[in-house]
Amino acid sequence: MAMLRLAVVSPEKTLYEGEASQVVVPAFDGEVGILPGHAPLMTLLGKGTLRIGGATAPAITVDGGFLQVVDNVVRVVTERATIG
Amino acid sequence: MAKGRELRGRIKSVENTKKITKTMEMVATSKMKRAQDRVAAARPFANALSEVIADLYTAELAEQYPLLRQPAAPKKVAVLLLTTNRGLCGAFNANILKETRALLKRLEGQGLEVEMHVAGRKGIGYFKYLGRPLATQRTDLGDKPTAADAASLVDDLMARFISGQLDGVYVVYAKFNSVLSTPPTTERVLPVTPPARKGPARDYLLSPGPEAILGELLPLAVRNAVYRQLVETVAGEQGARRTAMKAATDNATDLLGNLRRTYNRARQAQITQEIAEIVGGASALAG
Repeated sequence: MAMLRLAVVSPEKTLYEGEASQVVVPAFDGEVGILPGHAPLMTLLGKGTLRIGGATAPAITVDGGFLQVVDNVVRVVTERATIG
Repeated sequence: MAKGRELRGRIKSVENTKKITKTMEMVATSKMKRAQDRVAAARPFANALSEVIADLYTAELAEQYPLLRQPAAPKKVAVLLLTTNRGLCGAFNANILKETRALLKRLEGQGLEVEMHVAGRKGIGYFKYLGRPLATQRTDLGDKPTAADAASLVDDLMARFISGQLDGVYVVYAKFNSVLSTPPTTERVLPVTPPARKGPARDYLLSPGPEAILGELLPLAVRNAVYRQLVETVAGEQGARRTAMKAATDNATDLLGNLRRTYNRARQAQITQEIAEIVGGASALAG
C-alpha cells in the first residue's frame, strides 16, 4: 500500500520527516485524518497533537500554521510546534 | 644589544596578536558552520510557504489583503537595517551601511519620509555619528537569532503597515550566497511580493476558504522573510570575520618571519663583532 510522506517544518528547522500510513492533524475546526491517496487539501491548523500512524514517531504538538496535502506528501507548516 | 631587545619585544607582541586572530578565525569558522546549517534548515519552511501562497494567490484576492496593498501615493516608509554587534569582520558592516545610504538617498529622492530601525551596534553607532534619529534600535540579537526575534522586529512594522501609517518596509541585510559572496542586499518585505507560481495550479480542497488561509499565511511569510534575512546576516558576519582573521593571521606570520630574520642577523653581527674584538685583543697581547 502506498505510504504518506510526512514533513513537519518550523521556521527554524524540519522537526520531523518520515513515512506514515495515516496522519491525524488538529485542524482549526476539528481533527482531520489523512490516508494515502487523499485529494489535494489545504487547511489551517488549530491547537492539538499530531498523530502519526504506522511509524514510531514522537508526539508532536502544534499550535496554528497550516497543512498541505499533495500527491501523498503531507506538509505541516507551523511556527509553534513542540516535539516530545 | 638595545636593538635586539626591542626586536624581541615586537616578536613577542606579534606572536600574541597572531594567537588571538588565529583563535578568532577558528571560532568564526565553527560559528559560521552552524549559521550555515541554520540557513539551510530554514529553507523547507520558506519553500513550503511560498509554494502554497503562489498556489492560492490570485489578483482578485490581492485587493482584500492589507499586506498586499500597493499604496498609490506612498508617503512614509520604514527601513530595517541588520548589522552586527561586534566588529573585526572586515568591510562587512561598511558594505551594508553603504547599501543603506544608497537606499536612503533613493527613497528620500522620491520625496518619501523614511524612518530607520536598526539592529546591531555597528549600525546604531554609524547613524548616531551621522546624527540621524532612529525609530528603534536593538542590540539583543545574538549569533543565534530565532523566529521569535524576527517576529519582534517586524510585527510592529506589520501592524503599522496594515493600519496605513507606513506605506512600505525595506530590509537591508547581507545575503548569504556563499562563504565568499555575502553582498549587501535590499529587499522590500512590505507590501508582500507574491511569489510566482511554478507549474499548473492544483485543485485544492480548501478549508476554510482561500481568503482565510491566505490571511493567515501572509504574516507568516513576512516574519519568515525577516527570519531568513537575520540568519543569513549572521552567517555572512561569521564568514566575513573568518576571512578577515585569516588575513590577519597570514599577515602576522609574514611579519614574524621578517622580524625573526632581522633579529637573528643583528645577533649574528654582534657575535661576529665580539669574536673579532677578542681575536684583535689576543693578537695585540701576543704581538
